[in-house]
Amino acid sequence: MALVIEGLSKTYPNGVQALKDLSLTIGNHMFGLLGPNGAGKSSLMRTIATLQDPDAGSITLDGIDVVRQKDQVRRLLGYLPQEFGVYPKVSALDMLEHLAVLKGVTHKGERREMIEALLNQTNLWNARKKAIATYSGGMKQRFGIAQALLANPRLVIVDEPTAGLDPAERNRFLNLLAGIGRDVTVILSTHIVDDVRELCPRMAIIAGGQVLLEGAPNEAIAALDGQVWSKLVDSDEELRAIEAGMTLISTHLVGGRHEVRVLAAAAPGEGFVPAGAGLEDVYFTRLAAGRA
Amino acid sequence: MHQFLEFLRFELKLRFKSPSTYVYCFMWTAFAFLCVASENFGPVSNQSGKVMLNGPWAMTFNMLGACMFGMIVMAAIFGTSILRDFQRDTFQLLFTKPVSRLAYLGGRWSGSMLVTLFAFSGLMLGAWLGTHAPWADQARIGPNHLLWYLQPFLSIVVVQVFFIGALFFAVAALTRSLFLVYVQGVALFVLYLIGITAFSATRSTEHFWSGILDPIGMQLVRVVSGYWSVVERNSWLLPLDTTSGYAPGVFLYNRLLWIGFGAIVLTLLAVLFPMSVEALGARSQGRRAAKLRTLEQAQGAPVRTQIATRLPQVHPRYDLVTRWRQFLALAGLRTRAILKAVPFWALCGVLFAFIVNNGYYAGRMSGTDVWPVTYLMLESVEGNAYLFLIIVTALYAGELVWRERDVRFDGIFDALPLRPLPDAASKLVALTAAQLVMLLLSMLGGILMQTVLGYHHYELPLYLKELFVLVLPQLVGFSMLALFVQTVVPNKFLGHAIVIGVWVIVPILYNFGVENTLYLPGATTGYTYSDMNGYGHYVPALFWSILYWLAIFAALGGLSMALARRGAETGLRRRIGAALRRPAGWLPATLACLCVAAGAGGWFYYNTHVLNEFLSTEDRRAIQANYERQFKRYQHQPLPKVTAVDTRVEIHPERRAFEATGTYTLQNRGSVPVTELHFTDVNQSVRALSFDRPTRLVSRAARGLYVIYALKTPLRPGQTMHLQFKVGHDSPGFTDGKVLDFSGGDAGGKFAYNGTFFDLEYFPVLGYQTGYELDDPRRRREQGLGALQEMAKRGDAVQSKVNLFSPNADWISFHAVVGTSGDQTALAPGYLQKRWQQDGRNYFEYSMGQQPMQHFFAFVSGRMLG
Repeated sequence: MALVIEGLSKTYPNGVQALKDLSLTIGNHMFGLLGPNGAGKSSLMRTIATLQDPDAGSITLDGIDVVRQKDQVRRLLGYLPQEFGVYPKVSALDMLEHLAVLKGVTHKGERREMIEALLNQTNLWNARKKAIATYSGGMKQRFGIAQALLANPRLVIVDEPTAGLDPAERNRFLNLLAGIGRDVTVILSTHIVDDVRELCPRMAIIAGGQVLLEGAPNEAIAALDGQVWSKLVDSDEELRAIEAGMTLISTHLVGGRHEVRVLAAAAPGEGFVPAGAGLEDVYFTRLAAGRA
Repeated sequence: MHQFLEFLRFELKLRFKSPSTYVYCFMWTAFAFLCVASENFGPVSNQSGKVMLNGPWAMTFNMLGACMFGMIVMAAIFGTSILRDFQRDTFQLLFTKPVSRLAYLGGRWSGSMLVTLFAFSGLMLGAWLGTHAPWADQARIGPNHLLWYLQPFLSIVVVQVFFIGALFFAVAALTRSLFLVYVQGVALFVLYLIGITAFSATRSTEHFWSGILDPIGMQLVRVVSGYWSVVERNSWLLPLDTTSGYAPGVFLYNRLLWIGFGAIVLTLLAVLFPMSVEALGARSQGRRAAKLRTLEQAQGAPVRTQIATRLPQVHPRYDLVTRWRQFLALAGLRTRAILKAVPFWALCGVLFAFIVNNGYYAGRMSGTDVWPVTYLMLESVEGNAYLFLIIVTALYAGELVWRERDVRFDGIFDALPLRPLPDAASKLVALTAAQLVMLLLSMLGGILMQTVLGYHHYELPLYLKELFVLVLPQLVGFSMLALFVQTVVPNKFLGHAIVIGVWVIVPILYNFGVENTLYLPGATTGYTYSDMNGYGHYVPALFWSILYWLAIFAALGGLSMALARRGAETGLRRRIGAALRRPAGWLPATLACLCVAAGAGGWFYYNTHVLNEFLSTEDRRAIQANYERQFKRYQHQPLPKVTAVDTRVEIHPERRAFEATGTYTLQNRGSVPVTELHFTDVNQSVRALSFDRPTRLVSRAARGLYVIYALKTPLRPGQTMHLQFKVGHDSPGFTDGKVLDFSGGDAGGKFAYNGTFFDLEYFPVLGYQTGYELDDPRRRREQGLGALQEMAKRGDAVQSKVNLFSPNADWISFHAVVGTSGDQTALAPGYLQKRWQQDGRNYFEYSMGQQPMQHFFAFVSGRMLG
């Protein structure tokens, strides 16, 4: 499965330009799409998921024109949107049955088997007869991934799936994604850097509707090696001085004191120690560069 | 095919899991049941007393009526089925599957069709059950023919549901707003009523196209079966061929036309429905795009420092001033939300159209052009505007109560430091503002129509009094009731149904004999406004009844404040428990309202039931039936006839009372001696009778209805005698609504402050009066009487000698002296002989002199011109 995106542009009716001439190539693996809120990630996801049309550009999925051959794409697609609702009083089992038929699994026996497997895999078997509307946040997400995985999709798109999940649920979810299997392209769109770091062999950073970085996380991190310095700072004035004078990557609060991370070729000043570069540093530096 | 069946199956499953489906079915079953089983209910039962309640015409007419009022049910079912995916935000799950447009639309539509037809099939079931009800009037129920049930159902209900449902379905699918669907339904209903009234006012006898083009069926039925006799209505269904009846083919063409219309609508929908999810998800995309825009602007701005700065300090206060400001802010917000929204202006537009239409016909009474004086305008405008206002109040009360929950803002809102009172009061204010706007619009519409018709004496104070002093408090009370129901009932649409049901049930209860204003929710006493009398003596009754119900509804309003939903746990039992634990917030106010209600109600009861006798129409009929049962045997009792009347009447308009003394001269005009004198006194107005010869009281019926005296010496044929009488009438306190007297007139209206008019009914009446018998065969059966004794045949020996209108007299000579208050003029039959003033009162002497007149006289008093 190769997803080739070329020159995608989209401007909404109220003038907002969500995608600006965006190009990406995604292959057969977990692909992480990282970006701040409003970067255009969801617009891109919805375009690939055949929910909206771009103004310009093309998307091909193994030769299928996604924009023009939507029905074909929908047969291969599994989509977990960022937010979705449910019908009241409908159980997970009923809803999965309904959606499976809509996905074309008309054979009753096959359907049963598939749904049973999915419910077990997402640990929803015990709650399968309860109304989805009564599920907790984590259970609802698990249902969401279950319905996305119906009928063995070849392209799975998950849009901000772990936002709002507790650490244990998040872990379980990521494990589930990782176990999906080969020959399946999974696009994971998120603003949580750790998810991409843990799961994705390839990633892209998107901001302002454009691609700021495309490549393997390891390589991106290696490129910043030796250029990240950190220091524990006490006063606000020093903090402001550093921000004004140096390339500040990020600040964190550590035990009540500010820890600053700075991008510099060599030690930028007193008290700075070299710190190992992480994906977050890559993310923040790229964003800052993109804005400039 | 699989997909279509799957969508159909899923839709049916969802619907049959939902209680509302069964509620609708029950509603129609109950409606049809009552139409057949009860004599007082339904459009057919009150028409001719001989049309079979389960006959073909009755079934047809009832089903048409059900479809007309059932439009709202069709809107609810068809609209929600296609909008569910947007309301529930599930369209992203659904439209990323390979779903075909025809399967989606077709499955949802056919599911809705089946469910609606299931609900409406209750009409057939209810009617059939009604025919077996043990208390049903079997004289009006015929044999059950399956065809009489099926043909109307198939040709009327199925077709109406088909094309009206298709219309709602298409509007919902293309506009994506449920509120617009409801507004469209209301507008359709209203425009149809306007069209029908306009058409019938033209009195056109056109009987072809008007029937075919009628989408709802009222004109259609009139055209096809308007001239049918009772026998025809009990044997014929509306003919589906092109040759029979007075309007051949009209029914068939009508059905074909509207089926075709429905098919076209569905085809257009299938073609135009934007399956591209972008258009489908337009609204949520708009939201996301707006988010994007603000974030893009943020990105373009200079780099924000990563260092968090300290926030400035504020000093909130939590006292009465705060609560007042909170109330103002909320009231302003909620009022603007209602008044600025497009649906409200659409409703106002429709209301205005209604007013203009009705107002135009205010200038025509029984085909004559009259000046559209303000009270006529108000009469024609108020009735229909009132229905409109009730519906609007009910709908917006639901919206106001549920708003925070509907937009999912309740998590934030319920955690604010906001006391219940500002919140509740602001909702009431918003509703009242909407009502004020609509009432104002009604007033302006009325004034506009008066101007258009060339009449400029607008009488603004009268508009203000009627609309804002009489109608507005009732609406405010109704608002509080609606808010209470919506607070207590867990589902908004069920709440609407109950609220409108409460209003609808009042005339139904009235029909069933519950006429006591104290028991009818929101009712006020009946009243008549006249330019001569103004609101006159009806004012106290109106005041106390309005106050009574307003206080009760205010108490409910207090309870709704106590039981308001707040927070995550909103089960009713929990809320009741919470309210009981903190009674200080609501108990004093509620108790105060209940005290006011008890006081007003008690005073009302005292006046209407203690000072005056309260008789419902059924009570009256029972009295009439008893009168006939006990005294009809005296119908041919030989009695003397009145030959002269001489009376002195003192009218006291300011007390709404009169007394009179006088003499009857009686003569035995028959051929047998008269041994007894019988008197009928229906108004309990005869206070004393004395005779110029010895008599003995033989019997006196209850209420002095029939009194028999025996003459010591019989009156021989030709002999005359005299009787002296004292009669009078008082009006203590006030009465409930229009007290009818036995001739069907408004007794209270006979004695107005300005406008007294009473006749010889208040004077001694000799003998049994056939005029007091019940004449409606339905009512006679109810009371267990036989058939009415009709007028005697032509040439009847005895009756030919009796005057039809005054059986106990031939010609009389008449003389009267009438006194009335100093600012009024009194009239009586005869030529005015003399007028003078005495003790500040006006006196008039009238006499017929030598000219005999019929034994019928009336006394009139009023402030006349000149």
